[in-house]
Amino acid sequence: MHIPDGFIAPQMYLPLYGLAAGLWAYGAKRVARDLDEATLPWLASLTAASFALSFIALPLPGGTSAHVTGVGLLAASFGIWNAFMAASMVFAIQALLFGDGGVTTLPLNALAMGFAGALAARGLFLAVRPFHAGLALFLAGWIGLFLPALLIALALGAQPLIAHDAAGAPLYFPFGWSVTLPALLIPHALLGLGEGALTVLGGRLIERLRLRYGND
Amino acid sequence: MIERGKLAAYLAALLTASWLTAPSWLAAGLGAVLVLCGLEAGRLLRRALLATAAFSGTVSLAYAAYAWWQFHTLPLDWLLTANLRVLLMALLTFLFIARVNLFQALAFSRRLSFLLVLAVSQSLGLRRTLAEFRLGLQSRSPRPAGIKARYRAAAHAAAWLLDRALANAHESAQAMQSRGMFK
Amino acid sequence: MIQVEGLSHRYGDKPSLLEVNFSLAAGEKAVLLGSNGCGKSTLLKILDGLIAAEAGAVFYEDQRITPGQLKHGPLRRRFRQEVALLFQNPDVMLFNPTVYDEIAFGPRQMGYSSIDERVAHWADLVGVTAFLKRPPFTLSGGEKQKVALAALLAVEPKLLLLDEPAAALDPRSSGWLVDFLAGLPITLLITTHNLGLAPELGSRTLVLGEDHRLLYDGPIEPFLADTDKLVAANLAHAHRHRHGGVEHRHWHVHDWQ
Repeated sequence: MHIPDGFIAPQMYLPLYGLAAGLWAYGAKRVARDLDEATLPWLASLTAASFALSFIALPLPGGTSAHVTGVGLLAASFGIWNAFMAASMVFAIQALLFGDGGVTTLPLNALAMGFAGALAARGLFLAVRPFHAGLALFLAGWIGLFLPALLIALALGAQPLIAHDAAGAPLYFPFGWSVTLPALLIPHALLGLGEGALTVLGGRLIERLRLRYGND
Repeated sequence: MIERGKLAAYLAALLTASWLTAPSWLAAGLGAVLVLCGLEAGRLLRRALLATAAFSGTVSLAYAAYAWWQFHTLPLDWLLTANLRVLLMALLTFLFIARVNLFQALAFSRRLSFLLVLAVSQSLGLRRTLAEFRLGLQSRSPRPAGIKARYRAAAHAAAWLLDRALANAHESAQAMQSRGMFK
Repeated sequence: MIQVEGLSHRYGDKPSLLEVNFSLAAGEKAVLLGSNGCGKSTLLKILDGLIAAEAGAVFYEDQRITPGQLKHGPLRRRFRQEVALLFQNPDVMLFNPTVYDEIAFGPRQMGYSSIDERVAHWADLVGVTAFLKRPPFTLSGGEKQKVALAALLAVEPKLLLLDEPAAALDPRSSGWLVDFLAGLPITLLITTHNLGLAPELGSRTLVLGEDHRLLYDGPIEPFLADTDKLVAANLAHAHRHRHGGVEHRHWHVHDWQ
């Protein structure tokens, strides 16, 4: 899901940066609240782990493989703010050190995956866990992939509306929602099944290893 | 100090490029950046193309096909503008990566630079072991491993990663403390 | 059984192995020595067909072995059953829900019958019968290694490659390991830094030098007695120390960890 720079208009990414910056400032406080001295090493280690997670390939039926995002796993095991801060840093590292992904798309990715995805995953996880722990993990993994895809599809599809020339032709990403929604939602609904399965297996292991840490 | 300035310049250039919508300006910008690249121009341009070709190519082809099917014309303006802009921004990024030391550029914030150094150095070690999970499964499988086994191995790798994160965090915190990082 | 010709490899621009030649006959127990970073783990992975060497060739029973050849097919089946590699970090080898499933994984893949008996036999031999129902990741380092060993041996390989098996073991466990390996009727190639343990693990040694070439290939006792060779391989050092009240310095070894 790595959209290069140049497809999202400044009319969208600048305000998103503003929103993200506010959430980052708050997130830093939330993470530090319970950790103070250990905050830096803790965040760094979680970021390193999240970054490494993105290199795990999930086999898909049919022979291809997709890469793990681990948002559901991170959110279920460590809470929203840890997941958000770590994911945001991973996007920054990918963009500024490896040229993977974009700097202007960073707030969109961070907000969609790191924040909304983590929020939904954690919420669904906590809500379903009293009934069925395994299902809770699966849903966390699935929504952690699907909801960001929905938000990104909405953001991309909005480009022709918010940035067009006098004649109405798009200046940035050219397709509207009628294309972006099915194009992104269908594959991610399916990919989410794989991510869900991984989250169940991985989540159970982590609980066993007693790694639960959350601050929300 | 200088590195920080380069980071600021890069971000400003990126912002400017993203506002440009006229192909002539974009082409001029691309030309200027290529000049800045000097001898590395070819290599950096190739990297920029590789990084963006999949997405840009797909969207461009799809849009061209759609416009042809709907209006029997090719959206040349858009094709030129969008692709020039994407290429320009990617080239700026790869030039930045080649010329600027991000760790030094972030030196103005002790917190940020520590975070970056710790995160990147730890991730290198983690990725080495991650490769071993895949090799371990391969080594034990006389038949190519089935999907269940591969998921299990992937889940164990993910859990191991996060377990290591905690262990690393405690160790780093202790090391930093013993070196007087925290007051 | 194994023939290595002109093997060279590098990681990026750092050399890891340089023109290594040797052969290993069936039934031999050899020890691969060398200081840190001289390429021992890499060599084992190349021998196991997991990494493609940059130059040179590896032959297993006269059959050329490369990762490409081992993608699928009868060669893969045969090689992966006959050759096993115990990784240094047991975590990367274990991924099944219980110790029972872990040991049964290989035999199941091979389609063997009487899985129960096999698992019971190997679990008992390494001493993990008590853990059969537990998940492997809940065990201690030494116990995990035993489970990994049992899992590898359950398909009855002919050649066992071991990467620093004693590195993380306490004295009692490494004593157990020495006896266990000595009693196995299969060909072994074991890497270790532990010079005290090395002669117990095999009668022949291959020594990788810091220049990434094979420094020595022959009986182990003479090598360990030859201080010059030990120093050249960076397996011995000199520093000031005391014996019986007198301070001096001379070349000596430790049980490197």
